[in-house]
Amino acid sequence: MLETRNLDKSFGAVHVTRNVSLKLERGERRVILGPNGAGKTTLFNQLVGELTPDSGSVHLAGEDVTALPVAKRARRGLSRSYQKNTLFDGLTVEENLGLAAAVHTGHATQLWSDSLAKPEVREIVDEVANQVNLMPYIHAKVSEISYGVRRQLEVGVALATRPLVLLMDEPTSGVGPEMSKGFHDLLNNLPRDLTMLIIEHDMDLAFDVADTITVLNYGEVVFDGLPEAARGSKLLKEIYLGSWEDA
Amino acid sequence: MFRHNALRYAVLALLAAGALFQALTAEYFGLEILTEILILAMLVLALDIVAGFGGMVSLCHGALMGVGAYTYAILSTKAGIAPPVAMAGSIALTGVAAWVIGAICSRSHGIYFIMATLAFGQMAYSYVFEAPIFGGDDGLGGISRLDLSFIGVDLNDSRSFALFCLALLAAIYVASVLILRSGLGRSLSGVMHNEQRMRALGLTVWRVKADVFGLSGMIAGLAGALAAQHILYISPGLLSWTVSGEALVVVILGGLGTLVGPLVGAAAFVVLKHELSAVTTYWHLVVGVILIAVVMSRANGVFGWFESRWGDRIERRMADATRKQQSEEVLTDA
Repeated sequence: MLETRNLDKSFGAVHVTRNVSLKLERGERRVILGPNGAGKTTLFNQLVGELTPDSGSVHLAGEDVTALPVAKRARRGLSRSYQKNTLFDGLTVEENLGLAAAVHTGHATQLWSDSLAKPEVREIVDEVANQVNLMPYIHAKVSEISYGVRRQLEVGVALATRPLVLLMDEPTSGVGPEMSKGFHDLLNNLPRDLTMLIIEHDMDLAFDVADTITVLNYGEVVFDGLPEAARGSKLLKEIYLGSWEDA
Repeated sequence: MFRHNALRYAVLALLAAGALFQALTAEYFGLEILTEILILAMLVLALDIVAGFGGMVSLCHGALMGVGAYTYAILSTKAGIAPPVAMAGSIALTGVAAWVIGAICSRSHGIYFIMATLAFGQMAYSYVFEAPIFGGDDGLGGISRLDLSFIGVDLNDSRSFALFCLALLAAIYVASVLILRSGLGRSLSGVMHNEQRMRALGLTVWRVKADVFGLSGMIAGLAGALAAQHILYISPGLLSWTVSGEALVVVILGGLGTLVGPLVGAAAFVVLKHELSAVTTYWHLVVGVILIAVVMSRANGVFGWFESRWGDRIERRMADATRKQQSEEVLTDA
């Protein structure tokens, strides 16, 4: 469903992505682990087109999308959530989801009708609001909801484009343990045919959700395999998991 | 996303009643001032749509208005085209010109967007000033107004023309609200709040900006065609950046992104201009001081200040009154 071939990116002398090749099958849930500065978010930015790789290619559902801009990749089914909330603060939860759903259904540029009143848009808004537990806040403005609920909305907005592949950059970043547990259920309850690539520091969540795990270090893939193998990997313990397992 | 509230409806009703009263009772000079306000109100509504709801602060809307005025004048006086067709043509051509400007400028932001639109405006001004077909700095005269005699309306009468402009302004206001509440308007709001995210959702951002800029240009073009019919003479000064600057002052003075505020601003600006210019030739200084005070107060214009102070209070009182009435009805039923 999503594949990268020898993706490479440098900023001056800093090599942030080194020859990264990944292949995600349809419905696969892969978690990317790695210490700060490993190049995880930079990899995401290249996948969605916010950054252009120096070399290598990105393929979505068999199509080479490397040359496509962000919006075209999104319309082909590649959606992302951000590590820092990137929402429409002055709007309500419903309107936030509605904007994404309107783009997906083609109502976002219609002049003589309200996109949020369209049945197709409403259906997606209601479905996603239920999926990410936002129904109680549906009419609240983003500025009126808690940080944790905003994280849910961040994922919800990405989901409302009905993507083939959902990229989530640290969905539980900054949320407390209780809410983080809620995210386990939220992610596990998403449709099984949705392909997901997740950057996550919460190890419990990572091993709970992941079908496969990829570990990046200094921009390079140093591990790619099943969660069980990741737990037992000596290299992984050295570069990342040591402190977690000891804790 | 644009929303009406009780205060906005109340101010709109007051403005409409005041304008209608003035149009029905004023003498010639009062009608001329009213028409000037109404045409300026159209221009600032056009500017508020792009600046207040799309973050596109334009310094070429004066020029777009000028394009509308000159197109109407050329088509109706030199090309011999019937005024209604000339008017439709001027609106369409200005819309196309605005769409192209919007499409080109849509990739720039902030000060760069302002400068790019200023450059387009000044290019249009220079061309009109130099090209013989536009009459150079002498301008163009001999412009005629629309002929509505078939419905018994003589637009050469100042009162009828003022009422005609008032009706068109009302139609433009309704159209503006519909645009802002449409899918396109919602997307524009999303782009203003977070352009990067809208792009990541799959929206072709430049196209949304260009489409709204084109629609805004059509309103500016209509204002221009009416300005030409109002004065019956046009000159390149209509395209000058100072006209765009004045429109921006009016929008900021009234309340950016409120639609109602710019209407208040237009009325206040024209009345102030006429009243102050009768007293001093330095009336711009007074307007400048007021603008500085408004900007320094951090309020969103005069209407924005009033709305932030009283809008919530009025909404709460109305909600309380509704709840009280509902509970009384329940008691009565019981």
